Amino acid sequence: MAAKDSPLKQFEIDPISNIELGGYNISFTNSSLAMLITVLVITIFLTITVNTRSIIPSRMQLISELMYNFIAQLLSDTVGDNGKKYFPFVFSLFMFVLIGNMVGMIPYQFTFTSHIIVTFALATVVFVGVTILGFVNHGIKFFSFFYIPGVPFYMHPLLIPIEVISYLSRPISLSVRLFANMLAGHTLLKVFAGFVVSMPFFTGVFPLAFIVALTGLEILIAFLQAYVFAILTCLYINDAYHLH
Amino acid sequence: MPQLNPEFFVSQLFWLVVFFSFLFVFLWRVSLPRIATVLEKRQNKIDENLSNAKKLQEEAKEIEVNINEKIKIAKKETDDQIKKIITSLENEVSSQLSILDRDLEEKISKSEKEIISNRNSQMENINDQITDITKTIVSKITDINLSDSDINKAIKSGKEYSN
Repeated sequence: MAAKDSPLKQFEIDPISNIELGGYNISFTNSSLAMLITVLVITIFLTITVNTRSIIPSRMQLISELMYNFIAQLLSDTVGDNGKKYFPFVFSLFMFVLIGNMVGMIPYQFTFTSHIIVTFALATVVFVGVTILGFVNHGIKFFSFFYIPGVPFYMHPLLIPIEVISYLSRPISLSVRLFANMLAGHTLLKVFAGFVVSMPFFTGVFPLAFIVALTGLEILIAFLQAYVFAILTCLYINDAYHLH
Repeated sequence: MPQLNPEFFVSQLFWLVVFFSFLFVFLWRVSLPRIATVLEKRQNKIDENLSNAKKLQEEAKEIEVNINEKIKIAKKETDDQIKKIITSLENEVSSQLSILDRDLEEKISKSEKEIISNRNSQMENINDQITDITKTIVSKITDINLSDSDINKAIKSGKEYSN
């Protein structure tokens, strides 16, 4: 297959304007553009819809409020009262990933959440933040997080390394989950789109129908992965408060 | 895979930090407080309405209690009046009845007396006539002149005999 037809071509980054800062290439790329669009969509939507601040909300205002309540409920369910401080962060994270995924569903738009470096950076922020939070809350006792009570003592040499590894792999699992879902979904769409073009007219209808169905599924996954990202962040924050 | 090409890693991270920081600060400082105030305002309004509704409900209950009490009092009053009227009517009826009874009794006793006196006078007349008739019959048949006292004695002995 020629390189220009590769299903992975859609993930290639094209610089729009070349910028260099201190010897580093920080070009404004199509990925940056997608991020910019995402941020603009979120900020403009949340600004315009709540502009009237009416007690009886309009439909658009209701959407903003639903999002607000959705994340607020998520945080209070998983973390409890301690979680209120982290609401702006979790909400930003959720909206950024969600709208980023949704912007990616627009044809010819770039999906920045399909880049491991982006998701890994987000996951690392969560991981480092939660770890710092754990040490602030519990000090050196935070290490008891890896010690599971109520287990026979001879199991600890086995369990403690497992716990440490699972803790350290959190940013990887968190970032790869989102990245892989986006990558797989968009690749699959592209592959089937290729089938539509390459197949004869009548048989090409079937992959087209499949794409339509798959697009619906991808939108669901876009939401689901944003939700998973947010809820796992909440759970990690909860772990930083309640060791066991 | 383009994702693993480190050429644009720094650029990606740079713009991610820029945009996400902006988004975070904007949402934290502007959007979320706005939504929070709207929600709070609504909750306050709902609470206010609820408390008003509760107050009104209590007032309504109070009014209901008052009305019920008034109805009770009114019922009692009407009952009392009805009872009073009934007893007064009963008294009147019984007094009228007793007056009627007395009148009737008086009339009955009067007429009884009259009947008795009439009978007595009639009886006396009958006795006199019997004596006369006896006297004339006896004188006509036997030429014996009987005195009245003899005849009376005979009647009396006849009566005793028939008795």
